[in-house]
Amino acid sequence: MNSITRRLFVSLMAGAAMSLGMTTAHADPSGTFKYAEQVKLITMDPQQQSGSGVPYLRPVYESLFERDASGKPAPLLATGYEIDGLNVKISLREGVKFSNGEAFNAAVAADNINRGVKLGIIEGLKTVESAEANDEYTFTIKLKEKDPAIIDSLTHTGGMMLAPAAMADPTIDRNPIGTGPYVHSKQESREGEVQVYTPNPLYWDPDKIGLERYEVWEIPDDTARLNALKTGQIDAGNWLANPQSAIIDSSPDLKLIRNTGGLNYHVIISDRNGTQVPAFADVNVRQAMAHSINRAAFGKAILFGLSEDTYQPYPKGHWAHNPDVEGAYAYDVEKAKEYMAKSAFPDGFAFDMPSIPIYQSRLEALAGFFKEIGITMNIVPVEPGTLARRSRTTDFPATNLVWATNTDPKFLALRYIYEDAAYNPFHIKPGDELLTAANAGLESVDTDVRGPAYRQMAAKLAEEAFLIFVANSPILIGVTNATAANPTVVYRYGEDSINLRGLKAND
Amino acid sequence: MFRLIFQRLLALVPLLFIVSVLTFSFTSLLPSDPVDLILGDTGTDEQHEMLRERMGLNEPIYLRYLQWLGRAVQGDLGNSFFNSVSVMDAVMQRLPVTLSLTAISALIAIVVGISAGVVAALRPRSWVDRLATLGATFGQAIPNFWFGLILVAIFAVNLRWFPATGFTPITNAPWEWLRSSILPSIALGTASSAAIARQVRSAMVGVLQQDYIRAARAQGLSARRVLFKHALTNAMVPVVAVLSFQITVLLGGALIVEQVFAINGLGTLAIAAVRQQDIPMLQGLVLVMVGLVVIVQLATDIIYGLLNPKARPT
Repeated sequence: MNSITRRLFVSLMAGAAMSLGMTTAHADPSGTFKYAEQVKLITMDPQQQSGSGVPYLRPVYESLFERDASGKPAPLLATGYEIDGLNVKISLREGVKFSNGEAFNAAVAADNINRGVKLGIIEGLKTVESAEANDEYTFTIKLKEKDPAIIDSLTHTGGMMLAPAAMADPTIDRNPIGTGPYVHSKQESREGEVQVYTPNPLYWDPDKIGLERYEVWEIPDDTARLNALKTGQIDAGNWLANPQSAIIDSSPDLKLIRNTGGLNYHVIISDRNGTQVPAFADVNVRQAMAHSINRAAFGKAILFGLSEDTYQPYPKGHWAHNPDVEGAYAYDVEKAKEYMAKSAFPDGFAFDMPSIPIYQSRLEALAGFFKEIGITMNIVPVEPGTLARRSRTTDFPATNLVWATNTDPKFLALRYIYEDAAYNPFHIKPGDELLTAANAGLESVDTDVRGPAYRQMAAKLAEEAFLIFVANSPILIGVTNATAANPTVVYRYGEDSINLRGLKAND
Repeated sequence: MFRLIFQRLLALVPLLFIVSVLTFSFTSLLPSDPVDLILGDTGTDEQHEMLRERMGLNEPIYLRYLQWLGRAVQGDLGNSFFNSVSVMDAVMQRLPVTLSLTAISALIAIVVGISAGVVAALRPRSWVDRLATLGATFGQAIPNFWFGLILVAIFAVNLRWFPATGFTPITNAPWEWLRSSILPSIALGTASSAAIARQVRSAMVGVLQQDYIRAARAQGLSARRVLFKHALTNAMVPVVAVLSFQITVLLGGALIVEQVFAINGLGTLAIAAVRQQDIPMLQGLVLVMVGLVVIVQLATDIIYGLLNPKARPT
């Protein structure tokens, strides 16, 4: 990695953050804002958080950096960084205290990173060797390997800072202590129902506390959450692309926000050397499959018209998105049949595809498309919760998963492309061009430099067609009209949460 | 009577043991793995193994069960697999919610069911009887979750008379407790009221044709006295048995209705525990539910004995 220095100044970037649409906050917080989360709260320990549920953490925990409106890292608890080879030196904001009165400094920040590394759950910290304080307000993260996404990883759970007392508390999962604008009120929260947050009297930027009370309601049932939104019991909530979010989208009293990020649904041809299914080794077959999918019909019928057709891992607007790949496998059954005819398997073949209940309808649609070109996809149910694990084994020659589109592209290579990638269970060696593009993306932290490499990677992936991208569904946040009209509501880039700094209650 | 209670409580011990063995065995046989949920999509095999070891999942199933049993007999049901929440605390926090819902539903079922059954029985084959029978058929046929959704759409979303979701504890605000309980209780209690109405009608029609009812009427007793003192009391004997069964059904039905109304009761907890394979939580829930069913049956036996002296234990 080139020695790159990026110094981010508080005043400059704070100005950028303000450009997100925040208005001047009043000194006296007032009112309540209620957000509904679709996943149950599992833990309030950000370093043991492996999936969804970030809205429960954001009121209490601040990360070192946050993403600005364009998705680039902006300062929060950190004021800047310098990357020199495998060393990432981070400078911290001074005068910050945790809500329990403990000081936030470099030693605490380093301890946080080391704890995250030791727990090993956060994917973004897997390249980190260790961290150590240099002085009171700077510390250095030592990397095991080049990682241009390290700063981006510190905008999320990997960079959330826990108080020393919280790190030592075995019940941290229900007793969070951070530096955030709000503190968790255990007394007022009801386990399994609602988590209540009240202003943090020690917050370093008190003008940004606009609420007297913030609540996160646990409502996993989509219809119940919709009813709560319709009746004004909640101000906002998150949804997947489903009938309920389609209702929100069409309701005059509600608004469906399509936030940046989301999920990319795709088929993975794991056995692309043809060990179990010889046909998969033939690129004509894979390209035929890609052409046979009517993505528009799929999006309309399965994702309720809330998705976009896709042929690559990144949605339009993302810095790694390659416009040249758009439409590469536009729906064309005749073309698909031509590819099949050109292949060594003109009469078709059959293969098994694992399915969990939420993907059943998706796979039934895909099976219908593949059937048109003589390919029989047998849908094999697997136990819910086991799809990812089974997909990392050679149990199936192909699988289907979703990819969070706000994830740094380097993880695409780590998960699917490299010989030892988690979702490359047949350990197939990538071609030179693909490998070169994937590695070139690691040579800089600058997305302007990395973009071309990953665009090339997207083009090569399209050509090889072992990852067949089907649909991108954005992060969907349903809000009331009052919330939609609230100028202090700023949706976090790539997250299903609202930025609480400066958030005020609806009028 | 005390002997009956003692016998039932004694029988609870082997019952709980058998149920806990079965629950533990069945959930442990499921192919999914709670470690997957904790580590997510990106956990390495090494991390999986470490976490399994830390959670004790690598121990043989019988050993894990015996360890759990050893703690359980001392009143410690352990903590959830996923956080530091105590199983006992989690269950006890939600128990009043589900009990409250079940109690109001049972009350609705009893009042509506008995009233409809009696009115229908007093005028057999009349339009009132046919209407009550039709209502009972309808009540039994409609799924409670669907009925709940309809109630929410009309009375919460459109009319805004009741909240669409959530539950307010009675200790927080009694009026809000009632408002938050009405719709889920109606959704839950409708099928039971229909079953009770059918039973009451059938029993009452039979009782009203008995000689002692004719004798009571011949003695010049008021119609109300004949109905409530002589007919209904005797007709209630088979109804109590149905009621016991219906209360058990209501407890089970609450699990579904809680989802529709986003009520944080035992059902919501149970569904989350099943999805996550949170075995300690499931064990705690099953034990409590079995205990509740046994208590309901015990109460039924006691009431049965009070109504029917012949059925009292000797």
